[in-house]
Amino acid sequence: MMTKDQALAPLAACRTDEIVVTTMGMVRPWAAHSTHDLDFASADSAMGHAADLAVGLALAQPARKVVCLNGDGSMLMTLGTLVTAVDNGARNLVLFVIQNDAYEITGNQRVPGAGQVDFAAMARAAGFPRAHAFADPAPYAAALPELLRGDGPVLVTLRVEPGRESPLGREGKETAAYLRRSAPDEVRRFRRLFVP
Amino acid sequence: MASARAIIELFDRQGVTDVIGVPDNSSAALYSALAGHPRIRVRSVTREGEAFAMAMGLWMGGRQPVLLIQNTGLFESGDALRGTLTRMRVPIVCIVTYRGYGKTMRGFGKIPDQLDAELLSRSDVDNCAPITEPTLRAWGLPYEFLHTDEDLGVLEAAFQQVREADAPRAVLVTRDTT
Repeated sequence: MMTKDQALAPLAACRTDEIVVTTMGMVRPWAAHSTHDLDFASADSAMGHAADLAVGLALAQPARKVVCLNGDGSMLMTLGTLVTAVDNGARNLVLFVIQNDAYEITGNQRVPGAGQVDFAAMARAAGFPRAHAFADPAPYAAALPELLRGDGPVLVTLRVEPGRESPLGREGKETAAYLRRSAPDEVRRFRRLFVP
Repeated sequence: MASARAIIELFDRQGVTDVIGVPDNSSAALYSALAGHPRIRVRSVTREGEAFAMAMGLWMGGRQPVLLIQNTGLFESGDALRGTLTRMRVPIVCIVTYRGYGKTMRGFGKIPDQLDAELLSRSDVDNCAPITEPTLRAWGLPYEFLHTDEDLGVLEAAFQQVREADAPRAVLVTRDTT
């Protein structure tokens, strides 16, 4: 088991020009590590669909890696996305599943299959050529540069301690830079990076 | 009925890059005609809800996708539509085939506007039809109808309307494409 910081700090250190899509319990913690223009929070958005959004970005920008920091609860809602990512050839997708066995945002209620679901095995069965699971921070940090290189899609499950994140919003009291803009403004800011 | 060839020519004029969805009988001809298109990519999904979020990602990444789904798939996509194209005001045309339209028009002469358990469970009613338009209105997605090639101007206008409104819009296809 690792902390969120142990999951995110090595990724922030390795990250260069990858797009990073965050959702749920990783949105604010990632913002503590990164204020990159290519960060996008799937917040105030559709439940469970961050990975689908990331697949779309990966297909639109095939020369760039797209990292998605998905939750286990979110992943369970759209398991078909594993098949979709492979079928559409999202070879530049690196899909993290932050496995804390809980719906953290709503108070850490247990997710179905807590402690039993093997997302890496599911990904391999869906056709992911590379799927890995890490519970300890050191081997994860050592493997991370290689996980971000080469063809995928790649799935990385991280066993992470549940936190205490509260429901997400935009503007208002949110302090993370990528939550300070309205959802439509943030989406347009992102598109302008690719279509000036 | 609308011809796949004419719709694809329209897609070309409008700069469509990707068509995302799940085929049905009404869209089958269009999906078949799109296979092998030199510029427009067909993106398959396992459920229609995925299509809305994938479309948003494609648009954010600089492409110009359209959705092509059946109304049954729209029904399962409520939160996906709400949380992506609607919430983020993504200007994408959603082409929705209207299962039950023909059968209901033949049986009732109109799409019933009174929804109750008796109507929605009748064996001679495809209950997709009476639910479709109230659902679109409830979810705030404006819509028009594409019945035949004579209505292709409606589809062409939808592309202009999504750009002007900076928001999504639906076009309901009431007959099988050919």
